Amino acid sequence: MRNSAKEQSAEQPAPGWRRRLIHTLLYGRGVDRGAKSRARVGLAILAFVLGYGVIALRLVTLAAAPDAHNVRRVSADAVSTGRPDILDRNGNILATDLKAASLYGEPRKIIDVDEAVELLTAQLPDLDATEMRERLSSGKGFVWLKREISPPQQEAIHRLGIPGIGFLVENKRVYPNGAEVSHLLGHVNIDNQGIAGIERWLDKSGLADLHMAGFATDRLVKPIQLSVDLRVQHALRDELAQAREKYQAIAAAGLISDVNTGEVIAMVSLPDYDPNNPREANEPNRINRLTTGVYEMGSTFKALTLAMALDSGKVSLSSSFDARVPLHYGKFTIHDYHPQNRMLTVPEIFTYSSNIGAARLALSLGVDYHQAFLKKLGQLDRLRTELPESADPIVPKHWGEINTATIAFGHGLSVAPLQAVMAINAMMNGGLLIPPTFFKRTPEEAAAVATRVIKPETSEKMRYLMRLNTEKGTAAKADVAGYYIGGKTGTSEKVVNGRYSTSKLLNTFTAVLPADKPRYLLLIMLDEPKAIPETQGYATSGWNAVPAGAAVISRIAPLLGLQPRFDLPLSDRLILAKGG
Amino acid sequence: MMYWRLLNMSVVAGLVLVAAYAYDIKYQSTLRAERVAKLSEDLRQERDAVASLRAEWARLGNPRRIQALADRHLSLTPVNPSQYSDFGNLPERPPQIVQPTGSDPIEAIVSNPQDADIFTGSIDNWLPKVPNP
Repeated sequence: MRNSAKEQSAEQPAPGWRRRLIHTLLYGRGVDRGAKSRARVGLAILAFVLGYGVIALRLVTLAAAPDAHNVRRVSADAVSTGRPDILDRNGNILATDLKAASLYGEPRKIIDVDEAVELLTAQLPDLDATEMRERLSSGKGFVWLKREISPPQQEAIHRLGIPGIGFLVENKRVYPNGAEVSHLLGHVNIDNQGIAGIERWLDKSGLADLHMAGFATDRLVKPIQLSVDLRVQHALRDELAQAREKYQAIAAAGLISDVNTGEVIAMVSLPDYDPNNPREANEPNRINRLTTGVYEMGSTFKALTLAMALDSGKVSLSSSFDARVPLHYGKFTIHDYHPQNRMLTVPEIFTYSSNIGAARLALSLGVDYHQAFLKKLGQLDRLRTELPESADPIVPKHWGEINTATIAFGHGLSVAPLQAVMAINAMMNGGLLIPPTFFKRTPEEAAAVATRVIKPETSEKMRYLMRLNTEKGTAAKADVAGYYIGGKTGTSEKVVNGRYSTSKLLNTFTAVLPADKPRYLLLIMLDEPKAIPETQGYATSGWNAVPAGAAVISRIAPLLGLQPRFDLPLSDRLILAKGG
Repeated sequence: MMYWRLLNMSVVAGLVLVAAYAYDIKYQSTLRAERVAKLSEDLRQERDAVASLRAEWARLGNPRRIQALADRHLSLTPVNPSQYSDFGNLPERPPQIVQPTGSDPIEAIVSNPQDADIFTGSIDNWLPKVPNP
């Protein structure tokens, strides 16, 4: 306004057209200033009406709202996150929330700190008196004194009637099964936030946001159901614990997965920990070896090599390969553990577990083909599942012929065992690579995420080889009558100070049951088992991992609803003849 | 004039009535709100109690605990695969011939001496032995 007034006074002597021009430049052509000011007054009226309307509406809603202190009481309750219950596949509780009272103090309201400390330490002897005195004299508005006290303690402290001391009810996570399902479930911290395993996954997939928004304070969230079967998990853990003790192994791990859906039915890695006491979980020996550890899987990898060869079409079951002399590569020599010193057919390479044969098979197809095949099977990339813990496979930086030769029998490439299981599942189930999951999954859902990696006929031949290996190969001790098991052993030497040690072994055993119509795959892993008198001085997989696997199978097969069948024909008739 | 007074009186009376009614409604709603709060508090407590009972049940049903108890108190051994069978493997039930001569044919079937010494395999030690007539 002031501006335009100044302009007007300055333009006083200007002729009419100049004035019009300036008017046009300032206000636009043909603008009626009178109408404009009327519109402005109208706008002001509207703004006032709206403002008072909002105030009136707010008054009405305030009057209609329920009592404010009610709302406060609910939100003051349950400070730490409410979490959904976790159930196993049959609905058994694996993790649940209980309410526990926590003791807090409001230092500004406390009249006599010394008296309060004296009375409280009399009730809770494990409290540190000096620390408590410090906290209560800090002049803060709120301090925690002790989290999660028992109901009788709460009652006793309540009766003391100390001013400025109060309770908040919090959610406390409990795992009724203790260490049984430890690594898979993970655990939570004192504020009930998941920090490992499925618990961490829950937080990452939205629960934390829900809690921030103030919704997840009580039991509102639906329970989640895992693919794990508690009974099978227990049987596996029990047998592994026995095997670990018997063969004095540093560690033992086992995994059972559904071949056709990729669901993990049981996963045990010993030593484990009790999620109710998560402090143990930090010890490095207690990691989950199946997902966080990477290992050279040894002869188990021969299954992949043979499948690759059979699937290429260049090799058939009757092809034979030269295993007469050890294979030399510079200063490396590839030996056989059970040397036959003759030409071996493809099934013989598998049943005698011939390193030379497997190496020659892979070399006959070339380095690039081998690398591409393993890439397709997901063995060269980090496997991501719902569990946050995972590890990158250790892949040779420069992949030459020597690498292909050793990786063909499972040395020189370290993968997470869960990753290897995924690939072997694909070899067994008809050739579909299905990423593993810890949640329930139907075969249809599995088919949606599956990719075909080998032909169904190749998978049939692989099942024949696995079965043949239990009929007359290295896994003969695993043949639990009635379940038609197919299995492959693996004994790999661990690298100690940069060279392979002959005394420190990592033994694996992979079994598919039943071999003709595969449903489950079992992986057993023993880390550095020792030779004991019962095994006649041997420490290879066939003497420890295989009997342990057999014990597991005879316990879990009835739980998994596998019907024992007897008098089945040998594998060459039941599996191979059917495939044509 | 009379009309105005009457009108005023009635309006005042109406006002008192409406105020009383409004007060009553307010009072009732407060009562009910309190009841709702109390019930939802009860509900919450019940739910917490259910949760703690379920947790306790899960702890008691833990397979490891059951196994330890079974090892200590029972002389059972794990089931062998050869002990499983299905209904298809069961033999046909032998035909039973009952003479319809008696006065009560159903009674004759029930007390058929032919069945008296047949026990199912697994429980015969637990059944009281009935001496054959």
